[in-house]
Amino acid sequence: MPAPSTVTVDDMVGLFQRILETDGVGPDSDFFDQGGDSLLATRVLSAVARQYDVELTFIQLIDAASPAALTKLIKNFPG
Amino acid sequence: MRIVVVGAGLAGLTAATDLAADGAEVTVLEARNRVGGRTRGVEVAPGQWADGGAAYLGHRHTELGSLIRRLGLATVATTMTGRSRFSFGDGPQSTDGRFPPLNATALGDLFDRLYELTAAVRPDAPWLTPDAARLDRQTAAGWLDGTGVHDDARRFFPLFLGEMMAADPADVSVLHMAFYLRSGGGIRYLNAFAGGAQAARVYGGAHQLCDLLAAKLGDRVRLAEPVRWIDQDGTGVSVRTDRAYHQADAVVVAVPPVLADAIEFDPVRPARRATAATGRGCAIKVQLVYPAPLWRDHGLSGWSVSADGPLQSTVDDSPPGGAGVLTGFVTGRQARTFARLDDKSRRAAVRAQIQRLFPGLPAPGRLVITDWLSEPYSRGCYAALFGPGDWLALGPRLTVPHGRVHWAGTETSTEFFGLMEGAIRSGHRAAQQVAAA
Repeated sequence: MPAPSTVTVDDMVGLFQRILETDGVGPDSDFFDQGGDSLLATRVLSAVARQYDVELTFIQLIDAASPAALTKLIKNFPG
Repeated sequence: MRIVVVGAGLAGLTAATDLAADGAEVTVLEARNRVGGRTRGVEVAPGQWADGGAAYLGHRHTELGSLIRRLGLATVATTMTGRSRFSFGDGPQSTDGRFPPLNATALGDLFDRLYELTAAVRPDAPWLTPDAARLDRQTAAGWLDGTGVHDDARRFFPLFLGEMMAADPADVSVLHMAFYLRSGGGIRYLNAFAGGAQAARVYGGAHQLCDLLAAKLGDRVRLAEPVRWIDQDGTGVSVRTDRAYHQADAVVVAVPPVLADAIEFDPVRPARRATAATGRGCAIKVQLVYPAPLWRDHGLSGWSVSADGPLQSTVDDSPPGGAGVLTGFVTGRQARTFARLDDKSRRAAVRAQIQRLFPGLPAPGRLVITDWLSEPYSRGCYAALFGPGDWLALGPRLTVPHGRVHWAGTETSTEFFGLMEGAIRSGHRAAQQVAAA
């Protein structure tokens, strides 16, 4: 399992695109503005937990809802 | 050509309308003294209606959308603004949006697995799905046990399945669950309000669809005439009701599978429409009526989810600018327990729960319960639940005519199975089959 410190913005852009089923995600795109909802949010969080062993909550994702912000959050885990 | 249509729900009336437009002489036989099938209007205030049955639609429901336009009806967007209420055993609490106070990663694990299942299913012919025999044998409850997901996901799963398909996990096969979720447009579409399958309702109530279709057919629709017997030979079909024999060249049976099996056929059919494993959709709807949508003043959306019940979820179904209506759903196992209570106990249980869940609201003025489990001419709602073995046994014959008898109803549509959209599509398909026969 890759260490949380190795996560990149591109990884998170890729993850958002896979879950949202769209190509239109940039580093600063807001997950919820791009069609993300509570159900899809759980899938982002389970993927992050699986890949980096980092368990985040809904509220943390709402506060860090772009690939760039989420990358920073994971890198600095547990913060 | 003379056609008898059995059942004046959306499927039957759609088929009858198509066939009448083609010049057929159509008779629609309906067992109840009303049309509408699993749609039903509830008048919450003078001239203001809510849906006691099927209610919601989304942009992918293209046949329903075109019917709404053709009938001159309008839609109203569902609203989901504000905080939600959740009760998972530690007392009710509010959260932003629809985020339940559960372990999000655990829920994600569950949804990841459900996505895998729905992606693998063959939506047009679920019985041909890879590994169909195994998926058809296992119940959704058994599948969940095998996943080893976190307790929070296990608590959430029956609520999710209850909401999506009015099923207890023990009642449906994994194949049926995966098919149902896929057929309805996928997990996310089926679950979503804005942009999803619950984006809108019919303004004034979905029951108007059948009322208006039936009005155009006029006295060709005969109420309170349950069909008992369908005989056929090389020359035609004879349909016997409690009141009369109706002669026809072909018949469209547009009732749920269990009710189709209650009709006697001569000659007998090579296969039945349901098995001992086929369950009834377990949904009871409760409308709580307030002078106005008062929860909005408290920053609440009206959306709630409760593990304790009897209402597993509530949603704001208020008619625009009118009364406040919270619609509560009792589904799955809760519905079976609730259906056994007498009316007084049901009301007391709902009122007590609503007081716990929404302590800031006054008691609702009216409370209207629509119990689909106890409806003899629906036998459940949203739709029949295909249990273990059902898809392999019943699937290949869903739309195969029995001589001059054709089949319609939402359970015969692999597209939007269980929804109004599926019913309408099945009606069009059956009419085409009859015309081509």
